[in-house]
Amino acid sequence: MTIAENLFENLRMELRRGCLTLAVLAQLRQEHYGYTLRKALADRSLEIDESTLYPLLRRLEVQGLLTSEWREEDKRNKRFYHLSRDGEQIFGQLLEEWQAINASINSIL
Amino acid sequence: MDLLDRYLQAVKKHLPWHRQDDIIAELRANLEAQFEDKETGLGRPLTTGEAEDWLRQIGPPRQVAARYKLQQYLIGPVLFPTYWFVLRTAVFWVMIAYSVGVAVQVAVRTPSWAALLEGVLRVPEVLLTTAASVTLIFAVIEYIATRYPGRWPALATSSVDWTPSALPPAEKDSAQGEKPRSRAHAVAAVIMIFLCLVWLLLLPHHPYVLLGPGAAYLSASPFQGAPVWIQVYWCVVALTLFQIIWRCIALYHGRWQRQRTAERMVIAALGLIPLWLMLSIGDHAYITLKDPALDQLRYGGALDSINKSIHLSLLLLFAINVLQLLWGIGRRSLDCYRKRAAAMQ
Repeated sequence: MTIAENLFENLRMELRRGCLTLAVLAQLRQEHYGYTLRKALADRSLEIDESTLYPLLRRLEVQGLLTSEWREEDKRNKRFYHLSRDGEQIFGQLLEEWQAINASINSIL
Repeated sequence: MDLLDRYLQAVKKHLPWHRQDDIIAELRANLEAQFEDKETGLGRPLTTGEAEDWLRQIGPPRQVAARYKLQQYLIGPVLFPTYWFVLRTAVFWVMIAYSVGVAVQVAVRTPSWAALLEGVLRVPEVLLTTAASVTLIFAVIEYIATRYPGRWPALATSSVDWTPSALPPAEKDSAQGEKPRSRAHAVAAVIMIFLCLVWLLLLPHHPYVLLGPGAAYLSASPFQGAPVWIQVYWCVVALTLFQIIWRCIALYHGRWQRQRTAERMVIAALGLIPLWLMLSIGDHAYITLKDPALDQLRYGGALDSINKSIHLSLLLLFAINVLQLLWGIGRRSLDCYRKRAAAMQ
Protein backbone atom coordinates (compact mmCIF):
# COMPACT_ATOMS: atom_id res chain seq x y z
CA MET A 1 0.00 0.00 0.00
CA THR A 2 1.45 3.40 -0.97
CA ILE A 3 1.61 6.32 1.45
CA ALA A 4 -1.28 8.04 -0.35
CA GLU A 5 -3.41 4.89 -0.23
CA ASN A 6 -2.59 4.40 3.43
CA LEU A 7 -3.50 8.02 4.18
CA PHE A 8 -6.77 7.66 2.28
CA GLU A 9 -7.59 4.45 4.14
CA ASN A 10 -6.96 6.10 7.53
CA LEU A 11 -9.09 9.12 6.65
CA ARG A 12 -11.83 6.89 5.24
CA MET A 13 -11.90 4.84 8.45
CA GLU A 14 -12.06 8.02 10.52
CA LEU A 15 -14.93 9.34 8.39
CA ARG A 16 -16.82 6.05 8.53
CA ARG A 17 -16.46 5.52 12.29
CA GLY A 18 -19.05 8.08 13.37
CA CYS A 19 -21.33 7.36 10.41
CA LEU A 20 -21.44 3.64 11.24
CA THR A 21 -22.59 4.36 14.79
CA LEU A 22 -25.35 6.55 13.40
CA ALA A 23 -26.37 3.88 10.88
CA VAL A 24 -26.43 1.17 13.56
CA LEU A 25 -28.56 3.32 15.87
CA ALA A 26 -30.91 4.11 12.98
CA GLN A 27 -31.26 0.45 11.99
CA LEU A 28 -31.85 -0.63 15.58
CA ARG A 29 -35.06 1.32 15.85
CA GLN A 30 -36.18 -2.17 14.80
CA GLU A 31 -34.98 -5.16 16.76
CA HIS A 32 -32.08 -7.16 15.29
CA TYR A 33 -29.47 -9.63 16.35
CA GLY A 34 -25.92 -9.17 15.15
CA TYR A 35 -26.00 -11.07 11.88
CA THR A 36 -29.37 -9.80 10.65
CA LEU A 37 -28.30 -6.26 11.51
CA ARG A 38 -25.16 -6.73 9.44
CA LYS A 39 -27.26 -8.07 6.53
CA ALA A 40 -29.76 -5.22 6.82
CA LEU A 41 -26.98 -2.65 6.65
CA ALA A 42 -25.28 -4.51 3.78
CA ASP A 43 -28.58 -4.49 1.86
CA ARG A 44 -28.37 -0.70 2.04
CA SER A 45 -24.78 -0.81 0.74
CA LEU A 46 -23.24 -0.27 4.15
CA GLU A 47 -20.86 -3.16 4.63
CA ILE A 48 -19.44 -3.52 8.14
CA ASP A 49 -16.89 -6.14 9.22
CA GLU A 50 -18.04 -8.62 11.83
CA SER A 51 -15.09 -7.69 14.02
CA THR A 52 -16.22 -4.06 13.95
CA LEU A 53 -19.99 -4.43 14.25
CA TYR A 54 -20.34 -6.97 17.04
CA PRO A 55 -18.02 -5.21 19.52
CA LEU A 56 -19.66 -1.89 18.56
CA LEU A 57 -23.04 -3.28 19.66
CA ARG A 58 -21.52 -4.20 23.02
CA ARG A 59 -20.04 -0.75 23.49
CA LEU A 60 -23.30 1.00 22.60
CA GLU A 61 -25.10 -1.20 25.10
CA VAL A 62 -22.56 -0.41 27.84
CA GLN A 63 -23.11 3.28 27.04
CA GLY A 64 -26.84 2.79 27.56
CA LEU A 65 -27.87 3.52 23.97
CA LEU A 66 -29.05 -0.03 23.29
CA THR A 67 -30.87 -2.69 25.25
CA SER A 68 -30.48 -6.39 24.58
CA GLU A 69 -32.04 -9.71 25.47
CA TRP A 70 -31.21 -13.35 24.80
CA ARG A 71 -34.01 -15.17 23.01
CA GLU A 72 -34.37 -18.43 21.12
CA GLU A 73 -35.02 -18.21 17.40
CA ASP A 74 -34.70 -21.03 14.87
CA LYS A 75 -33.60 -23.36 17.67
CA ARG A 76 -30.65 -21.11 18.45
CA ASN A 77 -30.09 -18.62 21.26
CA LYS A 78 -29.48 -15.15 19.90
CA ARG A 79 -28.90 -11.76 21.44
CA PHE A 80 -31.36 -9.21 20.13
CA TYR A 81 -30.62 -5.49 20.30
CA HIS A 82 -32.96 -2.54 20.29
CA LEU A 83 -32.55 1.22 20.64
CA SER A 84 -33.08 2.28 24.27
CA ARG A 85 -34.98 5.40 25.39
CA ASP A 86 -31.72 7.26 25.94
CA GLY A 87 -30.52 5.90 22.63
CA GLU A 88 -33.56 7.32 20.82
CA GLN A 89 -32.88 10.77 22.27
CA ILE A 90 -29.20 10.73 21.40
CA PHE A 91 -29.90 9.27 17.98
CA GLY A 92 -32.25 12.23 17.29
CA GLN A 93 -29.53 14.70 18.29
CA LEU A 94 -26.87 12.90 16.26
CA LEU A 95 -29.16 12.79 13.24
CA GLU A 96 -29.69 16.56 13.42
CA GLU A 97 -25.94 17.07 13.69
CA TRP A 98 -25.26 14.79 10.76
CA GLN A 99 -27.88 16.51 8.61
CA ALA A 100 -26.40 19.91 9.46
CA ILE A 101 -22.89 18.74 8.55
CA ASN A 102 -24.20 17.15 5.37
CA ALA A 103 -26.01 20.35 4.41
CA SER A 104 -22.90 22.44 5.13
CA ILE A 105 -20.66 20.21 3.04
CA ASN A 106 -23.17 20.18 0.21
CA SER A 107 -23.34 23.96 0.27
CA ILE A 108 -19.52 24.16 0.21
CA LEU A 109 -19.38 21.75 -2.71
CA MET B 1 -17.82 -26.50 12.10
CA ASP B 2 -14.74 -27.85 13.79
CA LEU B 3 -12.80 -24.97 12.31
CA LEU B 4 -15.30 -22.46 13.72
CA ASP B 5 -15.07 -24.09 17.16
CA ARG B 6 -11.30 -23.81 17.07
CA TYR B 7 -11.55 -20.22 15.92
CA LEU B 8 -13.94 -19.28 18.74
CA GLN B 9 -11.77 -21.07 21.25
CA ALA B 10 -8.78 -19.02 20.10
CA VAL B 11 -10.81 -15.78 20.36
CA LYS B 12 -12.00 -16.74 23.85
CA LYS B 13 -8.43 -17.03 25.12
CA HIS B 14 -7.87 -13.33 24.47
CA LEU B 15 -11.11 -12.07 26.00
CA PRO B 16 -11.56 -10.74 29.57
CA TRP B 17 -12.46 -13.81 31.62
CA HIS B 18 -15.67 -12.40 33.16
CA ARG B 19 -17.18 -11.67 29.70
CA GLN B 20 -15.76 -14.61 27.75
CA ASP B 21 -18.78 -16.93 27.75
CA ASP B 22 -21.31 -14.22 26.96
CA ILE B 23 -19.31 -12.79 24.08
CA ILE B 24 -18.45 -16.19 22.62
CA ALA B 25 -22.09 -17.33 22.80
CA GLU B 26 -23.18 -14.23 20.87
CA LEU B 27 -20.33 -14.48 18.37
CA ARG B 28 -21.07 -18.16 17.82
CA ALA B 29 -24.76 -17.45 17.12
CA ASN B 30 -23.87 -14.72 14.64
CA LEU B 31 -21.12 -16.65 12.86
CA GLU B 32 -23.11 -19.89 12.69
CA ALA B 33 -26.03 -18.03 11.15
CA GLN B 34 -23.67 -16.45 8.65
CA PHE B 35 -22.06 -19.84 7.97
CA GLU B 36 -25.43 -21.46 7.31
CA ASP B 37 -26.45 -18.59 5.08
CA LYS B 38 -23.33 -19.10 3.00
CA GLU B 39 -24.01 -22.82 2.67
CA THR B 40 -27.64 -22.18 1.73
CA GLY B 41 -26.49 -19.69 -0.90
CA LEU B 42 -24.03 -22.21 -2.39
CA GLY B 43 -26.42 -25.14 -2.06
CA ARG B 44 -23.63 -27.27 -0.59
CA PRO B 45 -21.39 -27.38 2.50
CA LEU B 46 -18.38 -25.05 2.54
CA THR B 47 -15.06 -26.68 1.77
CA THR B 48 -12.27 -26.36 4.33
CA GLY B 49 -10.51 -23.87 2.08
CA GLU B 50 -13.63 -21.69 1.76
CA ALA B 51 -14.22 -21.83 5.53
CA GLU B 52 -10.60 -20.81 6.10
CA ASP B 53 -10.94 -17.89 3.68
CA TRP B 54 -14.10 -16.74 5.44
CA LEU B 55 -12.50 -16.88 8.91
CA ARG B 56 -9.38 -15.17 7.60
CA GLN B 57 -11.64 -12.39 6.35
CA ILE B 58 -13.17 -11.97 9.81
CA GLY B 59 -9.70 -11.48 11.26
CA PRO B 60 -7.06 -13.03 13.52
CA PRO B 61 -8.54 -14.22 16.86
CA ARG B 62 -6.39 -11.83 18.93
CA GLN B 63 -7.45 -8.85 16.83
CA VAL B 64 -11.15 -9.80 17.00
CA ALA B 65 -10.94 -10.25 20.79
CA ALA B 66 -9.13 -6.91 21.18
CA ARG B 67 -12.11 -5.08 19.66
CA TYR B 68 -14.23 -6.22 22.60
CA LYS B 69 -11.91 -4.66 25.14
CA LEU B 70 -13.02 -1.40 26.70
CA GLN B 71 -9.56 0.09 26.43
CA GLN B 72 -7.43 -0.48 23.37
CA TYR B 73 -4.72 2.03 24.18
CA LEU B 74 -2.40 2.78 27.07
CA ILE B 75 -3.09 6.52 27.24
CA GLY B 76 -6.07 7.98 25.43
CA PRO B 77 -6.40 11.23 23.47
CA VAL B 78 -7.98 13.15 26.39
CA LEU B 79 -5.12 12.42 28.74
CA PHE B 80 -2.32 12.34 26.17
CA PRO B 81 -1.52 16.11 26.01
CA THR B 82 -1.18 16.21 29.83
CA TYR B 83 0.90 13.01 29.78
CA TRP B 84 3.21 14.37 27.09
CA PHE B 85 3.71 17.65 28.96
CA VAL B 86 4.40 15.88 32.28
CA LEU B 87 6.74 13.41 30.58
CA ARG B 88 8.83 16.16 28.96
CA THR B 89 8.89 18.22 32.17
CA ALA B 90 9.81 15.22 34.33
CA VAL B 91 12.58 14.10 31.98
CA PHE B 92 13.97 17.65 31.82
CA TRP B 93 14.02 18.25 35.58
CA VAL B 94 15.21 14.75 36.43
CA MET B 95 18.12 15.25 34.03
CA ILE B 96 18.98 18.59 35.65
CA ALA B 97 18.77 17.11 39.16
CA TYR B 98 20.77 14.05 38.11
CA SER B 99 23.46 16.15 36.41
CA VAL B 100 23.88 18.39 39.46
CA GLY B 101 23.90 15.31 41.71
CA VAL B 102 26.60 13.63 39.61
CA ALA B 103 28.67 16.84 39.48
CA VAL B 104 28.50 17.28 43.26
CA GLN B 105 29.26 13.59 43.85
CA VAL B 106 32.26 13.75 41.53
CA ALA B 107 33.51 16.88 43.30
CA VAL B 108 32.96 15.65 46.87
CA ARG B 109 34.52 12.21 46.35
CA THR B 110 37.86 11.90 44.66
CA PRO B 111 37.13 13.50 41.29
CA SER B 112 38.08 11.33 38.34
CA TRP B 113 37.16 10.88 34.71
CA ALA B 114 36.03 7.31 35.49
CA ALA B 115 33.43 8.56 38.01
CA LEU B 116 32.25 11.16 35.51
CA LEU B 117 32.03 8.57 32.74
CA GLU B 118 30.03 6.28 35.02
CA GLY B 119 27.60 9.13 35.68
CA VAL B 120 27.21 9.80 31.95
CA LEU B 121 26.71 6.12 31.13
CA ARG B 122 23.85 5.91 33.62
CA VAL B 123 21.93 8.69 31.83
CA PRO B 124 19.89 6.31 29.57
CA GLU B 125 18.89 4.26 32.63
CA VAL B 126 17.74 7.39 34.47
CA LEU B 127 15.82 8.63 31.43
CA LEU B 128 14.12 5.28 30.80
CA THR B 129 13.19 4.86 34.47
CA THR B 130 11.67 8.35 34.58
CA ALA B 131 9.75 7.85 31.34
CA ALA B 132 8.53 4.41 32.40
CA SER B 133 7.38 5.68 35.82
CA VAL B 134 5.44 8.60 34.31
CA THR B 135 3.90 6.33 31.66
CA LEU B 136 2.89 3.78 34.29
CA ILE B 137 1.20 6.43 36.45
CA PHE B 138 -0.74 7.80 33.48
CA ALA B 139 -1.66 4.30 32.27
CA VAL B 140 -3.18 3.62 35.70
CA ILE B 141 -5.08 6.94 35.59
CA GLU B 142 -6.34 6.11 32.09
CA TYR B 143 -7.38 2.63 33.21
CA ILE B 144 -9.39 3.98 36.14
CA ALA B 145 -10.83 6.87 34.13
CA THR B 146 -12.03 4.47 31.41
CA ARG B 147 -13.77 2.20 33.89
CA TYR B 148 -15.07 4.83 36.30
CA PRO B 149 -15.61 7.92 34.15
CA GLY B 150 -17.73 9.68 36.79
CA ARG B 151 -14.90 9.67 39.31
CA TRP B 152 -12.46 11.58 37.11
CA PRO B 153 -14.45 14.61 35.97
CA ALA B 154 -11.39 16.86 36.18
CA LEU B 155 -9.64 15.01 33.37
CA ALA B 156 -12.24 15.96 30.83
CA THR B 157 -12.65 19.54 32.02
CA SER B 158 -9.05 20.39 32.90
CA SER B 159 -8.51 22.08 29.54
CA VAL B 160 -11.55 24.30 30.11
CA ASP B 161 -10.10 25.89 33.25
CA TRP B 162 -7.38 27.92 31.57
CA THR B 163 -7.76 31.66 31.10
CA PRO B 164 -6.12 33.55 28.22
CA SER B 165 -5.05 36.35 30.57
CA ALA B 166 -2.92 33.86 32.52
CA LEU B 167 -0.73 33.26 29.45
CA PRO B 168 2.87 34.54 29.66
CA PRO B 169 3.53 37.92 27.99
CA ALA B 170 4.37 37.85 24.29
CA GLU B 171 8.08 37.67 23.52
CA LYS B 172 9.40 40.82 21.96
CA ASP B 173 10.34 40.62 18.30
CA SER B 174 13.66 41.66 16.92
CA ALA B 175 12.78 45.37 16.97
CA GLN B 176 15.67 46.05 19.32
CA GLY B 177 18.07 44.55 16.81
CA GLU B 178 18.72 41.43 18.86
CA LYS B 179 17.99 38.17 17.07
CA PRO B 180 15.75 35.84 19.16
CA ARG B 181 17.47 32.65 20.25
CA SER B 182 16.16 29.26 19.25
CA ARG B 183 15.33 26.68 21.90
CA ALA B 184 18.20 24.50 20.67
CA HIS B 185 20.54 27.46 21.13
CA ALA B 186 19.30 28.02 24.68
CA VAL B 187 19.61 24.32 25.55
CA ALA B 188 23.12 24.23 24.06
CA ALA B 189 24.04 27.23 26.24
CA VAL B 190 22.84 25.39 29.37
CA ILE B 191 24.83 22.30 28.38
CA MET B 192 27.94 24.44 27.83
CA ILE B 193 27.60 26.08 31.24
CA PHE B 194 27.07 22.66 32.77
CA LEU B 195 30.27 21.38 31.13
CA CYS B 196 32.03 24.46 32.53
CA LEU B 197 30.78 23.47 35.98
CA VAL B 198 32.13 19.94 35.55
CA TRP B 199 35.44 21.40 34.39
CA LEU B 200 35.52 23.68 37.44
CA LEU B 201 34.79 20.80 39.79
CA LEU B 202 37.60 18.73 38.31
CA LEU B 203 40.06 21.61 38.63
CA PRO B 204 41.23 21.30 42.32
CA HIS B 205 42.30 17.67 41.96
CA HIS B 206 43.25 17.79 38.30
CA PRO B 207 45.04 21.11 37.62
CA TYR B 208 46.09 19.50 34.34
CA VAL B 209 42.69 20.46 32.85
CA LEU B 210 43.63 24.16 33.34
CA LEU B 211 47.37 24.26 32.98
CA GLY B 212 48.08 21.24 30.80
CA PRO B 213 51.69 20.02 31.16
CA GLY B 214 52.40 23.22 33.16
CA ALA B 215 50.64 21.57 36.14
CA ALA B 216 53.79 19.54 36.76
CA TYR B 217 55.85 22.76 37.02
CA LEU B 218 53.30 24.18 39.49
CA SER B 219 53.82 21.34 41.95
CA ALA B 220 57.58 21.62 41.58
CA SER B 221 57.68 25.44 41.84
CA PRO B 222 58.39 27.26 45.13
CA PHE B 223 55.11 29.23 44.78
CA GLN B 224 51.56 28.42 45.93
CA GLY B 225 48.18 30.11 45.86
CA ALA B 226 46.90 31.99 48.92
CA PRO B 227 43.88 30.50 50.83
CA VAL B 228 41.64 33.21 49.33
CA TRP B 229 41.67 31.30 46.03
CA ILE B 230 39.59 28.53 47.65
CA GLN B 231 36.88 31.04 48.64
CA VAL B 232 36.99 32.55 45.16
CA TYR B 233 36.82 29.10 43.60
CA TRP B 234 33.63 28.19 45.48
CA CYS B 235 32.13 31.59 44.64
CA VAL B 236 32.69 30.86 40.94
CA VAL B 237 31.20 27.35 41.31
CA ALA B 238 28.12 28.78 43.05
CA LEU B 239 27.79 31.48 40.39
CA THR B 240 27.94 28.85 37.60
CA LEU B 241 25.35 26.71 39.37
CA PHE B 242 23.15 29.77 39.81
CA GLN B 243 23.40 30.48 36.07
CA ILE B 244 22.40 26.89 35.22
CA ILE B 245 19.36 27.06 37.50
CA TRP B 246 18.37 30.48 36.14
CA ARG B 247 18.61 29.29 32.52
CA CYS B 248 16.70 26.07 33.31
CA ILE B 249 13.86 28.03 34.90
CA ALA B 250 13.79 30.33 31.86
CA LEU B 251 13.64 27.28 29.58
CA TYR B 252 10.88 25.75 31.68
CA HIS B 253 8.79 28.92 31.46
CA GLY B 254 9.47 29.27 27.73
CA ARG B 255 11.56 32.46 28.12
CA TRP B 256 14.61 31.33 26.21
CA GLN B 257 14.24 33.62 23.21
CA ARG B 258 16.55 36.31 24.56
CA GLN B 259 18.88 36.71 27.47
CA ARG B 260 17.18 39.00 29.94
CA THR B 261 18.81 42.25 31.03
CA ALA B 262 17.91 41.25 34.58
CA GLU B 263 19.94 38.05 34.24
CA ARG B 264 22.94 39.93 32.88
CA MET B 265 22.79 42.47 35.70
CA VAL B 266 22.39 39.88 38.46
CA ILE B 267 25.29 37.80 37.08
CA ALA B 268 27.43 40.93 36.75
CA ALA B 269 26.59 42.00 40.33
CA LEU B 270 27.29 38.53 41.74
CA GLY B 271 30.50 38.40 39.70
CA LEU B 272 31.79 41.33 41.75
CA ILE B 273 31.82 39.19 44.91
CA PRO B 274 34.86 37.01 44.05
CA LEU B 275 36.66 40.05 42.68
CA TRP B 276 35.94 41.96 45.88
CA LEU B 277 37.20 39.01 47.95
CA MET B 278 40.46 39.10 46.04
CA LEU B 279 40.88 42.85 46.28
CA SER B 280 40.16 42.93 50.00
CA ILE B 281 43.11 40.65 50.81
CA GLY B 282 45.80 42.39 52.87
CA ASP B 283 49.19 43.21 51.27
CA HIS B 284 47.97 41.68 47.97
CA ALA B 285 49.51 38.31 48.73
CA TYR B 286 47.73 36.25 46.05
CA ILE B 287 50.75 34.04 45.55
CA THR B 288 52.93 33.02 48.46
CA LEU B 289 56.12 31.00 48.89
CA LYS B 290 55.85 27.40 50.00
CA ASP B 291 58.93 27.84 52.16
CA PRO B 292 59.50 31.57 52.84
CA ALA B 293 62.51 30.99 55.09
CA LEU B 294 64.31 29.20 52.28
CA ASP B 295 63.16 31.07 49.19
CA GLN B 296 62.39 34.63 50.34
CA LEU B 297 65.79 35.92 49.42
CA ARG B 298 65.83 34.32 46.01
CA TYR B 299 62.19 34.80 44.86
CA GLY B 300 60.90 37.61 47.12
CA GLY B 301 61.35 40.35 44.50
CA ALA B 302 59.75 38.40 41.69
CA LEU B 303 56.84 37.44 43.98
CA ASP B 304 56.14 41.11 44.83
CA SER B 305 56.05 41.99 41.13
CA ILE B 306 53.68 39.05 40.35
CA ASN B 307 51.30 39.99 43.20
CA LYS B 308 51.28 43.66 42.20
CA SER B 309 50.48 42.71 38.59
CA ILE B 310 47.63 40.44 39.74
CA HIS B 311 46.27 43.19 41.98
CA LEU B 312 46.36 45.72 39.16
CA SER B 313 44.61 43.30 36.78
CA LEU B 314 41.93 42.54 39.36
CA LEU B 315 41.42 46.23 40.01
CA LEU B 316 40.97 46.85 36.30
CA LEU B 317 38.58 43.90 35.98
CA PHE B 318 36.57 45.11 38.95
CA ALA B 319 36.31 48.62 37.46
CA ILE B 320 35.18 47.21 34.08
CA ASN B 321 32.54 45.04 35.77
CA VAL B 322 31.24 47.94 37.86
CA LEU B 323 31.01 50.12 34.74
CA GLN B 324 29.19 47.34 32.86
CA LEU B 325 26.77 46.96 35.73
CA LEU B 326 26.13 50.68 35.93
CA TRP B 327 25.66 50.79 32.16
CA GLY B 328 23.12 47.96 32.40
CA ILE B 329 21.24 49.65 35.23
CA GLY B 330 21.24 52.93 33.30
CA ARG B 331 19.86 51.28 30.15
CA ARG B 332 17.23 49.42 32.11
CA SER B 333 16.15 52.59 33.89
CA LEU B 334 15.98 54.46 30.59
CA ASP B 335 13.86 51.69 29.02
CA CYS B 336 11.50 51.77 31.98
CA TYR B 337 11.25 55.55 31.78
CA ARG B 338 10.50 55.42 28.02
CA LYS B 339 7.85 52.75 28.51
CA ARG B 340 6.21 54.73 31.27
CA ALA B 341 6.31 57.88 29.18
CA ALA B 342 4.83 56.03 26.19
CA ALA B 343 2.07 54.61 28.37
CA MET B 344 1.18 58.04 29.69
CA GLN B 345 0.83 59.56 26.19
